[in-house]
Amino acid sequence: MKERVILHCDINHCYAQIEEMMVPELRHVPMAVGGRSESRHGIILAKNDHAKKYQIQTGESLYEAYQKCKDLVVIHPHYEEYLYYTQKVKDIYHEYSDRVESFGLDEAWIDVSESMALFGNGLEIAREIQQRVWEEIGLSVSIGVSFNKIFAKLGSDMIKPMGLVEISRDDFKEKAWQLPVGDLLYVGRATLKKLSLFGIYTIGDLARFDLDILKRHLGKMGEIIYWFANGYDQSEVAYIDTCEEVKSVGNGITTPKDMNHLREAQSVFYVLCESIASRAKEIGMAGRCISIQLRDTDLKSFTRQKTLSRATNLSDEMMIVVMELLRKNYDFSKPLRSVSVSLSHLQPENEKVQLSLFEDEIHLQKQYHLEKTIDQIRLRYGFKSIKRCSMLLDKELSDFDPKNDHIIFPVGYF
Amino acid sequence: MLYKRYVDVVALIDKQGKLTPLILRWDNGVQYPIDRILEVRKAVSEVGGSGILYRCRIQNQERKLFYEKNRWFIESTKP
Repeated sequence: MKERVILHCDINHCYAQIEEMMVPELRHVPMAVGGRSESRHGIILAKNDHAKKYQIQTGESLYEAYQKCKDLVVIHPHYEEYLYYTQKVKDIYHEYSDRVESFGLDEAWIDVSESMALFGNGLEIAREIQQRVWEEIGLSVSIGVSFNKIFAKLGSDMIKPMGLVEISRDDFKEKAWQLPVGDLLYVGRATLKKLSLFGIYTIGDLARFDLDILKRHLGKMGEIIYWFANGYDQSEVAYIDTCEEVKSVGNGITTPKDMNHLREAQSVFYVLCESIASRAKEIGMAGRCISIQLRDTDLKSFTRQKTLSRATNLSDEMMIVVMELLRKNYDFSKPLRSVSVSLSHLQPENEKVQLSLFEDEIHLQKQYHLEKTIDQIRLRYGFKSIKRCSMLLDKELSDFDPKNDHIIFPVGYF
Repeated sequence: MLYKRYVDVVALIDKQGKLTPLILRWDNGVQYPIDRILEVRKAVSEVGGSGILYRCRIQNQERKLFYEKNRWFIESTKP
């Protein structure tokens, strides 16, 4: 097989850089993009290099950030601008290949294997793209060039800003294997901990380790990251505009005030379930597995899930399971700060199902039509035009529209 | 020091769809015809924002006029 040439482009601290591009004065002060602290969505989403000097980290609360740097300028996110400018960047990528796969807003893989006759080799194309994005849009991107997607991503992470690193088949052992294993895609905190038990600290350690032992202790993921480390990743760069198959539908929120008891949490979960049910119906899917994630005021979080005998996309049905999980697993000894719900194991909603003797099918049908009607009313007259009576019990907690308020949903590699 | 100033622009869209700015209109109503367009390209502005740059000659001065999304701004020497 012909050797592939894949670029991975990463817009350096994307949100912060777009803000700087729009308002150049921000380049000279410590600045971060963060949610609103009044409604407690106050976490740092991105920061510039000056803020980095103060050890401000993405994901920490505004409160923590201000303690490290009291002069920090915090900008509220302008998602529409980010969507606009990242699309402009992608328009440039599209000029070089028909295979451009986005990974979130700020990252993308480009397969230029077939474009080299036109534009030169991988490094030359990378340099040209970097130059053009800088001159035409005013953003710096780091690019990794390699023969597979995983190493391309490693390359783009190595130097920031404006890095350009090639990892080839001849030198990946020198360049990639010395990196900490946590740099590898899909080696998160939990995996990192397990790997350290085996004395695996670098990507090279992982690549040279015994595959059977990895498989036994880490399962399928153990095998996958082993192949990643050895440069055997064969996954293709998707064509432009191909949609990923949806694996799950989920929503979460950090509420404006803590949830102190079951009833308060219930109103919030109702809103989340309605949003998820509505989105699942929109794409014609129903799911069999419902999971909830709870995070208390100490920021400790855990997940619980339940698999149903048949798929659902009704908020009422989901709600019963959610409340069951909540009752079983949480005693509200500490108030909850944020919660999320997710519906997975999706299948088409019109798939034939074995009807149950013990369930009221007519009621389910009615419920389905009722929820569809509510969705239509909301589509025409707005989210707040119709709501459950119980939502009025605690307006502060339930007054949000998860379906439309969040336009950027996280993505996964698989 | 340059400043970012949004301005009114009278422009011509020709039959081919090409957009050409003709006249700048300052906030006080004074109009400045664009004498010549020297260059058109995508670019970032040093006063912030990016879009399509029209490098123009106006009354023997060279000015950078940007078409940003759906409006125009100029890199102005006056705030």
